[in-house]
Amino acid sequence: MSRLNSIKELDKLSKEILSGKDPKRKCITVCGGTGCIAYGSPNVVDAFKKELKQQKLEDKVDILVTGCHGFCERGPLVVIRPEGIFYQRIKPENIHEIIKDTVIDGKILDHLLYTDPITGEKIVYEHEVPFYKKQVRLVFGNNGFIEPTSITDYIGIGGYSALAKVLSGMTPEKVIDIVKKSGLRGRGGGGFPTGVKWESCRKAEGDVRYVLCNADEGDPGAYMDRSVLEGNPHSVLEGMIIGAYAIGSHEGYIYVRQEYPLAVKHFGIALEKTREYGLLGKNILGSGFDFDITINRGGGAFVCGESTALMASIEGNPGEPRAKHVHTVEKGLWDRPSNLNNVETWANVPLIINKGWEWYSKIGTEKSKGTKIFSLVGKVNNTGLVEIPMGMTLREVVYDIGGGIRGGKNFKAVQTGGPSGGVIPESLLDLPVDFERLTEAGSMMGSGGMIVMDDSNCMVDIAKYFINFLKDESCGKCTPCRQGLIQMHQILTDICQGQGVIEDLALLDKLCWIVSETSLCQLGATAPNPVLTTIRYFRDEYQAHIIDRKCPGGVCKELIHYFVDEERCVSLGHGCGACRRSCPQQAISGEKNQLHRIDQNKCNKCGICLDTCKFEAIILE
Amino acid sequence: MGTFVIDGQEVQADPNKTVLEIAQELGLNIPTLCYHKSLSPYGACRICTVEIIWGKRSRLITACTYPAWEGMEVKTNSEKVIRARKLLLELKLAEAPGSPEIKKLAHEYGVEKTEFKVVGDEDNRCIMCGLCVRICEDVMGIGAIGFKNRGDRREITPPLEEYSDVCSTCGACVYVCPTGAIKLEEFTDRKPIPIPSEFDAGLTSRPCIYTPFPQAVPNKPVIDRENCMFFKTGDCRICESVCQPQAIKYDQEDIIIEEEVGAVVVATGFDLYPMIKLGEYGGGKIKNVIDGLAFERMLSASGPTQGEVRRPSDGVVPKEVVFIQCAGSRDPEQNLPYCSKICCMYTTKHAMLYKHRVPDGQPYVFYIDMRTGGKGYEEFYQRAIDEDDVVFLRGKVSKIYEEDGKVVVWGADTLTGKKVEIRADMAVLAMGIVPSEGTDELVRKLKIGCGDGGFLTEAHPKLRPVESMSAGFFLAGCAQAPKDIPEVVAQASGAASKVAALFSQERLYHEPIVAVVDEDICSGCKICIPMCPYEAREFDEEKKIVSVKEVLCEGCGACVAACPSGATQQRNLRDDQIFKMIEAGVEVT
Repeated sequence: MSRLNSIKELDKLSKEILSGKDPKRKCITVCGGTGCIAYGSPNVVDAFKKELKQQKLEDKVDILVTGCHGFCERGPLVVIRPEGIFYQRIKPENIHEIIKDTVIDGKILDHLLYTDPITGEKIVYEHEVPFYKKQVRLVFGNNGFIEPTSITDYIGIGGYSALAKVLSGMTPEKVIDIVKKSGLRGRGGGGFPTGVKWESCRKAEGDVRYVLCNADEGDPGAYMDRSVLEGNPHSVLEGMIIGAYAIGSHEGYIYVRQEYPLAVKHFGIALEKTREYGLLGKNILGSGFDFDITINRGGGAFVCGESTALMASIEGNPGEPRAKHVHTVEKGLWDRPSNLNNVETWANVPLIINKGWEWYSKIGTEKSKGTKIFSLVGKVNNTGLVEIPMGMTLREVVYDIGGGIRGGKNFKAVQTGGPSGGVIPESLLDLPVDFERLTEAGSMMGSGGMIVMDDSNCMVDIAKYFINFLKDESCGKCTPCRQGLIQMHQILTDICQGQGVIEDLALLDKLCWIVSETSLCQLGATAPNPVLTTIRYFRDEYQAHIIDRKCPGGVCKELIHYFVDEERCVSLGHGCGACRRSCPQQAISGEKNQLHRIDQNKCNKCGICLDTCKFEAIILE
Repeated sequence: MGTFVIDGQEVQADPNKTVLEIAQELGLNIPTLCYHKSLSPYGACRICTVEIIWGKRSRLITACTYPAWEGMEVKTNSEKVIRARKLLLELKLAEAPGSPEIKKLAHEYGVEKTEFKVVGDEDNRCIMCGLCVRICEDVMGIGAIGFKNRGDRREITPPLEEYSDVCSTCGACVYVCPTGAIKLEEFTDRKPIPIPSEFDAGLTSRPCIYTPFPQAVPNKPVIDRENCMFFKTGDCRICESVCQPQAIKYDQEDIIIEEEVGAVVVATGFDLYPMIKLGEYGGGKIKNVIDGLAFERMLSASGPTQGEVRRPSDGVVPKEVVFIQCAGSRDPEQNLPYCSKICCMYTTKHAMLYKHRVPDGQPYVFYIDMRTGGKGYEEFYQRAIDEDDVVFLRGKVSKIYEEDGKVVVWGADTLTGKKVEIRADMAVLAMGIVPSEGTDELVRKLKIGCGDGGFLTEAHPKLRPVESMSAGFFLAGCAQAPKDIPEVVAQASGAASKVAALFSQERLYHEPIVAVVDEDICSGCKICIPMCPYEAREFDEEKKIVSVKEVLCEGCGACVAACPSGATQQRNLRDDQIFKMIEAGVEVT
């Protein structure tokens, strides 16, 4: 491919790609996102290729390995286009029938379809799946239609047209103005207005400015940025180039965490291709504008997602935050003006440029515009990545998209905002999701983690889990964050082990105050949120641990006991002995047809007996 | 530039300064732990937390990092600030329970104990302020230590937890640590080499920037360029950053001051004969064998032990001390031939003072013979024997060696004819006196002459004891010969009087016998010029002959003897006059 030397050449290429496409041509898309890879999608792809070869259909049917579709719960996912037939949990042995029946004969294979857990209805088409139905997939939607490493696929769906629009006569000020008016706010968690940030960076004193992309997504269970980078790296790249043009930067960095090799690979290919096509590097599209990007790989520290720590890390220094009285837009990387945005923020930019700020600002709430991708995990039926317009209620997310609580259990809380976010109880389920509402509820948007919990979760244990994570991931520089979290973790451990005293709650309160008030960076300032919100909404659970020495969620091992329900064991189970055989501690004794008993001294509370017993004769207290 | 308010005072805002700097200038007390003037602010310990108020918003910030911006209000002691500092101190007490410094600071805030559990080591003193890491990297330019891990596993260690091969044992980390947590031996297997304090006769060490001695004139610190890190590596500059009046000037050089004077009193003093020359006494090898000057420092109330007698090896109070006289003196075969004169008396004094400080201790003195010539000296010596039980043993010590931590002294008591072995805790050598270092060079420069042993020569041993051989140069003190304090004072007073007498004359009188040059005969060969020991001859470039500076000429006649043409003669003592005198003398006889 020769270099594109002008916007016209890009237009021409885009038209060529479009005209070369047959809208009726069969295309099998297989999700190649991380979740589906883990479920075995590469084997599915191989099987498809083999089958197509055998059937001599290679020239008639395309195979497209895409980025993440979002519905990871049901992977590996296969979508047959143009119809959009949605097959889920596909194994290599299903391939033959898919090709034979669906691709050749056009028949739908019922047993591969998704069944709505609520209505029990079989769903044929992708857009009808309830998981997708309520979503507004602006940033994420294209993942299912392109091959992540193919620049022509991206150009074919209108990629780089926003860049072309910007470079064909828009002034940097105009670009900033559009982004400001769109109301786009930072998706990394802070929610700072993106346009305002760009403007400050543009106006900051200095010859060299940097544009940075934060892809150090470290929240446990969150993988939105990863999936965008893996599935549609060009959208992020295009956003960064537009941003660099607006800010007046010629040098960019993307900081990707060590654990995302596929994202690094795909983004690296994207960089190579864009340079080849003249979309990156010197004289982009013949406009005279120069910009290039370097990939920096993180070392696996959560705190490096913090802006100053990230910049310190790029500089080659230990990833420790510094005091931010002078903002990074003025003195950031190497003390030069630097504009850092998150992956998702950058991916929003081309959309805003293409469709206009008026369109964008209509989506969302008064102060929070656009959509947000959440990683919906935990005790819901449909886990995966969901992109929703700002302002959708938590109830809609959990029940309509997430399909409700798994196993018919009761909803207890949803944790948002990553480890330093907070839990939101059932009473606040109708809370519209936006930056302000989440903060008011004591949690935060964060980078978009959303963990749903049911009544088998212990809230003290949850708080302990997150505090433990933060204690490990704090850089350890400042006393309140380092030592405060050690102390919080100690107290929570004591409570979970039944050694808590009622004064611990006041002590936790004090600790939360000092950690949030005096920590150096936002990691510390927000670290007490899991404790604060669990105490705020689930004080009774803390009291149950401390006063009654009981764990209502049945999680804290020191506070729970397994018993045999004598009645059920004998009359229903006839002393089947399944529990006895499965007990790794040999703590259960009893003859066949006789009552079984658990020796409390030997029991290590693993809960295997409870899961094993078919007669619900094991009681957890 | 506008103002801001700090604790009710309106002061000039300056965004280039921090709130802490302004507060310190105003004398407001804000505690700090991780802050050091020579480093950029770090903001880790948070103890300098203060409250700032912008309109209706109030926040806690760290004074060390926050710029002194216009329009804000700062409270350094508000209720919120005190609450935060107390809690931070409680956290630090739980983290570093072994640190007395943290306990002290906590006590100042009324925090006596912490509500929190000690999660780590009970003896830990480190609060992870990072001063050591930063000073090593940023100031000393070495980077021998760093942080390992993060969060609760954070540690300070050299790379790979191995002994650092770049650590220069400069000790900056130890110096800067606010809690005394640093142990250099954990970072390196190299041992720091202390710089012995000259003033304390090597009993203590001193830093590279120091005041030479308490009454030094001028009483200002000096930089030891040979050891200073800045002069060695170009880094450090800590003294410069902490000196408030900015008095440190690394580019200062020694300067030569030229003065025209009418007289010079040479009073360059003495040094002790080096102990290292007395190998048989373990000089310089056995730690508990010291010289008299070191013992003198030890007895001083402002000395390194505050006047207590403690042996250098372990600081234990010695129960038996052997004093050895004539260490180097009166030993013409091996060392100094002469008697150093003062040792008998000062050793007697040392032995007595030791007995006063350590009443259950036993002093022994080995001597060749006691020379107690002087007013009251003999009585003093008798008192030492009678009242202070000092045991005087007549005889020389042959050998001193170390065994089981003791100093074993082998000697003889020539009065009883028996061999003596004393297993003492310490030995003090009364080292002989030698002219101070550099006296020989000075002698050459001043052309004043010195005798055996390098002591300056007086013009006449009986009649002119304070004058040198050269006019205008006078002698005082031990530069001339070993003497004790009353003698030194007397001689110095004499020299001063001589100078005063010289200066009070309206004209200078000179011996009439000086050299003259017969201009008609002198060929300008210049042979005489280097022959003159007083530099009294110079070449007249115009006349191309040699002339004589009569004031300098001492009439020694060296030039006369050297002059090949006989052009130089001594006035009133010309050759022909001498011959006439000889003739007359011969006639008479």
